[in-house]
Amino acid sequence: MTPHTLTPAVARRDSTSESRVALVRPKKPLRWITTAAVAAAVVGLHAVAIEGTDFKPGLLVDGWKGMAAFIGDAFPPDLSWEKTLRPGLEATLVTLWIGLLGTTLSVPSALLLAALAANNTSPHRLVYQAARAILSFFRAVPDIVFALIFVTAVGLGPFAGVLALICHNTGVMGKLWAESMEEIDAGPQEALRTAGANRIQQVANATLPMVVPQFVGLLLYRFDVNVRSSLVLGLVGAGGIGLLINQSIKSFQFDSMLTHILIVLVLIIVVDQFSAWIRRRLAA
Amino acid sequence: MPLSVHGLRKSFNGRTVLKGVDFSVAAGELVAFLGANGSGKSTTLRCVMGITNPDSGSISIDGTALETLQGRELQQARQRMAMIFQKIHLVPRRTALDNVCAGALSRIPTVRSLSSLLLPADVQQEALDCLDRVGLADRAFDRVGRLSGGQQQRVAVARALCQRADVVLADEPVSALDPHAAEQVMALLRELAHSEGLAVAAVLHQPDLALRYADRSIGLLHGSMTFDLPSTEITADHLDTLYAPDRDVSDRDVSDRTQAA
Ligand SMILES: Nc1ncnc2c1ncn2[C@@H]1O[C@H](COP(=O)(O)OP(=O)(O)O)[C@@H](O)[C@H]1O
Ligand SMILES: [Mg+2]
Repeated sequence: MTPHTLTPAVARRDSTSESRVALVRPKKPLRWITTAAVAAAVVGLHAVAIEGTDFKPGLLVDGWKGMAAFIGDAFPPDLSWEKTLRPGLEATLVTLWIGLLGTTLSVPSALLLAALAANNTSPHRLVYQAARAILSFFRAVPDIVFALIFVTAVGLGPFAGVLALICHNTGVMGKLWAESMEEIDAGPQEALRTAGANRIQQVANATLPMVVPQFVGLLLYRFDVNVRSSLVLGLVGAGGIGLLINQSIKSFQFDSMLTHILIVLVLIIVVDQFSAWIRRRLAA
Repeated sequence: MPLSVHGLRKSFNGRTVLKGVDFSVAAGELVAFLGANGSGKSTTLRCVMGITNPDSGSISIDGTALETLQGRELQQARQRMAMIFQKIHLVPRRTALDNVCAGALSRIPTVRSLSSLLLPADVQQEALDCLDRVGLADRAFDRVGRLSGGQQQRVAVARALCQRADVVLADEPVSALDPHAAEQVMALLRELAHSEGLAVAAVLHQPDLALRYADRSIGLLHGSMTFDLPSTEITADHLDTLYAPDRDVSDRDVSDRTQAA
């Protein structure tokens, strides 16, 4: 279409022709002051944080020799079967089992607390608040603290690690599950309510079936995280490969330490790939 | 009368949305609600279902006013009404049969409704029969998410049947469906009214569906009824009053736009 064939109504949309409405952005005079204040606050916080953590990159430069010696000692990794590889593989399996049980055994408690702590499934405001508080507590106490507590009760070993993960994971997974339930489409639940279903029936027949994919995805994610956590728990005596890494460092066997770390690397990649594979199949 | 409603009034935040709505639906009758967006059609159905609390008005089921009932009796009376939604509101991951069984939940002990494996056999058989009545018995074990929109809405109708409702309220049941599926669902609703004696009230977006399928049509304009007539007596004038461009100055949105132009 050539310009002179345009009807007036269409021609008015042409940017070169005169507009009938003026473009005036509403003025926000305090905008730049707010921006400057936020920037100043961020810079100030970083200054305090650098001071508070003794953050001195110079130390790293001066100390490079120590690090080089450490790494030099670690190479080549010790691949002797009896002394390092076999104990390492066995301990890695223990680490995997700690992560697995810590995840699966926290499912019932996390599920119950999630249902009580999601506003669309909770039976009462007070129950909701109480469940939220319990979840917050289990989430706020780090798994390593739980591990130290359980070690004093059941002694050193993987059992303490499993108990610690159950506690912490209940808090985290319960919170994540509660949130995914709150985000779910409320329609099917409302439909069952109008059909006369009670609260538990609504949750069991609409809300939970709707969130299964999200729940399984989060469960796998937590399994992934928990396997890595159980490594750290080994450092405080809760068994597994973490314990071996700790021992090899303490006895200056850095080549064994490196072997253990390489085994851990393989474990983490395998677990990661496995959970990604399952999540892909769920999404399909 | 399975359902009769008198003087239904409702306001949200001081704005009156229903200004006294009176209607009834007889057994064996399909009644259509027509009206522009915001005229109060959904609010009417939601008040009748008890999803929204009306400010005043009386709702009677088989001559019993709901406001005279309490607790278990009120719940039982309400369960004689089932609702069909525009967005269908089934659980896509569950089978058609499980979704239909959910209509019977109020008759099933809570422990037996926690998993589809625990559902009583007679409920499952009844649900299958309901699916058969909507023509989908062969899809009973398919996940609902794999069915077409029209089939899903028919599963929702089967769920209402499994609830043993004798009043079915449908809020734009076919607005999200393609024309062919819309015809199928409307034909099903009409058949349930005519041959099974259900009282069916449906909010419809397209007047032509109402004229072709409904026995009676009710027009709502700004929360008031403008007509309640056999569908054969509805004229273009009737419809024009419902959908004509808004001349009401109280409607701020429209008056703003008029000033700007
Ligand atoms: N829960 C609510 N809170 C506030 N306003 C509402 C609510 N539900 C409906 N309304 C208002 O009531 C009016 C009628 O709505 P509705 O019954 O949904 O109309 P329709 O279904 O005829 O399109 C609309 O103006 C809507 O904004
Ligand atoms: Mg509506």
